[in-house]
Amino acid sequence: MALLSDLLGHAVLSGSVLALGALGEVIAERAGVLDLGVEGLMSLGAVVAVMTVTATPHPWLGLLAAGLVGGLGAGVLALSSVVLRANQVLCGVAITFLGLGLSSVIGRSVAGIPISAVFEPVSIPVLSSIPVIGPAFFSQNVLVYLIYLVLPALVHFWMFRTRSGLDLRAVGENPAAADAVGVPVMRLRALAVILGGVLAGLAGADLTLAVVPVWSDGMIAGRGWIAVALVIFAGYRPVVAVLSGLLFGLVTAVGFMGQARGWPIAPAILNTLPYLGTVACIIVPMLAFAKLRSAMAAPAALGTPYYRSGR
Amino acid sequence: MSLKNLTRLPRRRALAALGSSLLLPSVLKAKAAERRFAPIREEDLLVGFGHTSPITDGGWSYAHNQGVEAMKRAYPAVKTLFVESVPYSADATRIFRQFVAEGAQMVISTSNYGDFIKDVADRAPNVAFMECDGHTVSNNLGWYYITHWYASYVIGIAAARLSKTGKLGYVASFPVPSVYASANAVLLGARSVNPNATMRVISINSWFDPQAATEAGAALVDSGCDFLCGIMDDPGYLRVAEKRGVWAAMWNTDMREFGPNAYVSSVTLDFADFYIQQVGARIRGEWAPEGRFLTLGKGVDRDPWGQNVPEAVQKEADAARDRMLAGWSPFQGPIYDSDGKLRVPAGHVMTDAEMFGWSWQVQGVSGLG
Repeated sequence: MALLSDLLGHAVLSGSVLALGALGEVIAERAGVLDLGVEGLMSLGAVVAVMTVTATPHPWLGLLAAGLVGGLGAGVLALSSVVLRANQVLCGVAITFLGLGLSSVIGRSVAGIPISAVFEPVSIPVLSSIPVIGPAFFSQNVLVYLIYLVLPALVHFWMFRTRSGLDLRAVGENPAAADAVGVPVMRLRALAVILGGVLAGLAGADLTLAVVPVWSDGMIAGRGWIAVALVIFAGYRPVVAVLSGLLFGLVTAVGFMGQARGWPIAPAILNTLPYLGTVACIIVPMLAFAKLRSAMAAPAALGTPYYRSGR
Repeated sequence: MSLKNLTRLPRRRALAALGSSLLLPSVLKAKAAERRFAPIREEDLLVGFGHTSPITDGGWSYAHNQGVEAMKRAYPAVKTLFVESVPYSADATRIFRQFVAEGAQMVISTSNYGDFIKDVADRAPNVAFMECDGHTVSNNLGWYYITHWYASYVIGIAAARLSKTGKLGYVASFPVPSVYASANAVLLGARSVNPNATMRVISINSWFDPQAATEAGAALVDSGCDFLCGIMDDPGYLRVAEKRGVWAAMWNTDMREFGPNAYVSSVTLDFADFYIQQVGARIRGEWAPEGRFLTLGKGVDRDPWGQNVPEAVQKEADAARDRMLAGWSPFQGPIYDSDGKLRVPAGHVMTDAEMFGWSWQVQGVSGLG
């Protein structure tokens, strides 16, 4: 029982970074913009959070700054790929390189220095005393509650229960039709990209303010790309995206647990568990249920810039 | 026919050269190459450094860069170039070639780049090349490495005394010789005082991934290890140890600020004297391509003990260190591997070269495969 609880606890913490990054990406992709800048924006968010907390010992300020920087970086992406209609893949990759390089340069002064103020675990009374899941889910830091409970609920409600959420999805499925009924395509797409960038920045801050309290160059280590992949896995659904982040964290934790306990499986295979898990979770259900294939499909206009004259 | 012969000639010459390089001991070749590098004025010397990770990594490249800085203080007129995060690919060849093109008379790579650096060295015979963790000596290429296993052994003795469960956890990168040597040495040290000590290794498939190192450390503590060590560039698992109330020993640099209560020691690297000496030799025209080990106390050592390590433990471990400084080696047979096979017969003392190429885990270590 303690083993399971430990496992879940690690999964929740390490999955939170992916979950938040994936949630941001869902918003952008639902509006029809493929945002490949997540890795770079996460990196920028992580370093700016550390720099802010080093200057002012307030983790909330660090979080705020990371969100702002993520939004700013995504603003550049929105300008180039939405307003100027440049190729979304190229712009996204460029933002990733820019973010990684820039964070490496501006982070030099704080690299390797531990930060003093981080988000400490806060136990929720009553709930945290539930056996097994209590310590794993309800004795975590504030960001965990935000990422797993508050944000997905908000995004889900917005996307599927409000008029503007419907507009957002329409813009991603058929921008021409949305435009015809008076939905501001450009504005919504830009907003979605920027919002996604804010969440990517926050995901980076989550890594440095709650999981590993130090900035070092290259510490995102591909988690932004995994977040992009999780969105496809989650069928572009906010709640499922967050859960898949948790699943990915769990499978990673199981891999380490297996090595630590000496399960008779080669470490190389245990290390590939997250990827094998993804393959198994995506491909097997898709093959088994034809219905799922259409339900999990990408927004129809994903990756295509919108020209009003082409209507 | 002449055409055919012409095209064959270089190949035959190449074969002959290959044969001689296999037959001739590298020492002899090094002798033959002496005086190849004429003395050079300090202000004319340009040295290029290629690092495998950012110099701010707080670990391997940081330690090397500290040595570079010390060298620059000793020879203030020497100009230097450096490139960080040199990938292990053809890009490395391009980067080292760039150093040569910029006029570097000496190129030092602080990690192993194998043929990627050898190719460049062969085409720039007047440039002195050094490769850390390299294995090749040619007319203008030498290697250097630290004999970190002695320091690891000292830490292993302390580990066995501090651990209550006798279960040590090791956060590894990949199953490569330096990792085998490090993990084996810690456990052999531990077994010298507690024959029942065991070690469990987790490989995270990266030299630098703070989140993965943290998770691996937590998984080891969850499964009963109360002493963590490893070979990471970041202090991830030291923070785990601090939080969970267990011990941890580190690598590369002094990292006690990340976990002052859990900190035991670290295998610390100091390349300052070595770089000063090598650059000085190049200036005086005395540099020669060789393979060199930086030994205990001269480039690699254990860090001063952590604040919570009891004095008796410090003394016991340091006694072994003193003996090693006086020339004793603890790495003598019989040593068995994890399958119970005798690998080092009784009476045989492992050479540094053997430990430099260690590729099996000793009895008691599991998980390295």
